[in-house]
Amino acid sequence: MRRSKVSKRYAKALLSLGMEEGRYQEYGKELRDFADFYESHRELNQAIANPAFTLEDRKEILKALLARSAASETIRNFLNLLLDKNRISALGEISAFYERLTDEVSNIVRAEVVVPRPLAGEAESKLGRALEQMTSKKVRMNVRQDKSILGGIIVKIGDLVVDGSVKAQVQGIKESLKRGE
Amino acid sequence: MDTYPKTRKRPWLAVGCFAAGSVLLSSFALASGGGADRSADLLDLLYRWINFTLLVIILVIVLRKVPIKEFFASRIEGIKKELEDLKTQKEAAEGKARDLESKLKAFEGERKEILAQYRADGLAEKERILAEARDRAKQILEQAEMSIQYELQTAKEKLKDEVVAVAAQRAEEIIAREMTDRDQDRLVNEFIETLGKTH
Repeated sequence: MRRSKVSKRYAKALLSLGMEEGRYQEYGKELRDFADFYESHRELNQAIANPAFTLEDRKEILKALLARSAASETIRNFLNLLLDKNRISALGEISAFYERLTDEVSNIVRAEVVVPRPLAGEAESKLGRALEQMTSKKVRMNVRQDKSILGGIIVKIGDLVVDGSVKAQVQGIKESLKRGE
Repeated sequence: MDTYPKTRKRPWLAVGCFAAGSVLLSSFALASGGGADRSADLLDLLYRWINFTLLVIILVIVLRKVPIKEFFASRIEGIKKELEDLKTQKEAAEGKARDLESKLKAFEGERKEILAQYRADGLAEKERILAEARDRAKQILEQAEMSIQYELQTAKEKLKDEVVAVAAQRAEEIIAREMTDRDQDRLVNEFIETLGKTH
């Protein structure tokens, strides 16, 4: 919980800076790219986050990495700051918070769509429009396949879940039969 | 006290009478006999009479020495006293017997009362035990009935759940097998239309 709060503060600080510079979306992408790289390389994050190595050594590693990347100066400084404050291990969380904050600023909601088979034709765009109409925000959909829902579709937006799956309908019928309705 | 002088005179009088009687009888015997052949008999009789008289005198003297009167008098007194004591004891025993009889009668009545009380108590206890047993039996029957109903209901619900679970599983299997792309597209379109109508 405490770590989440700290991560949120760092994300807010970077967003504030990005908004001032008008580059918050660019920073978000750079941060996400580095975070994905950092999270996907276990040896790297063990070396950079490991206090057994001196801070100077770890800074040298980070500097070498950033020299090969196209990250902006602000992001470089931000990552160095995280390393100085020993918060580099929370990079993935900070990136996730940053994306959420940028979505709010950009009036964007993320929707997770679950279907048993790929959406056909214009269904995805129709669904996107319907969801934008429903939320009055831009919708970014992440479509995922899950055969266990049998048929239909499930949409999750934040805390809201709209379950139109066949499995849910079968479960509803099952519960009704159990209650003797 | 009055009997003493009489008993003192009477032996002498008896002895005198006896001697006179003997002499008279001897005279008659002599007078009726006769001759010398009878003198020997008379002499013999005389000797016998003297012998007898001496015996009587000895007896009288001996008897006078022995306090036989006092013995018999004291014996009579003792017997009288003993009789009186026995009479007293008899009366006491009779009184005691009467007391015991009355006590026995009272005890008999008391026994009857106690028995009647015990019988009444026993009957009351019997009724109480029977009533308690009836209540307990009723409670057991009610509890058994409730348990049966509960078990029946639980079994029914369990069976229904199992049947519903099997039916749902079969339905899911059939849907998964029979579901086509067209069905899926229709469901998605319906979902999108519902979203549009709802919001």
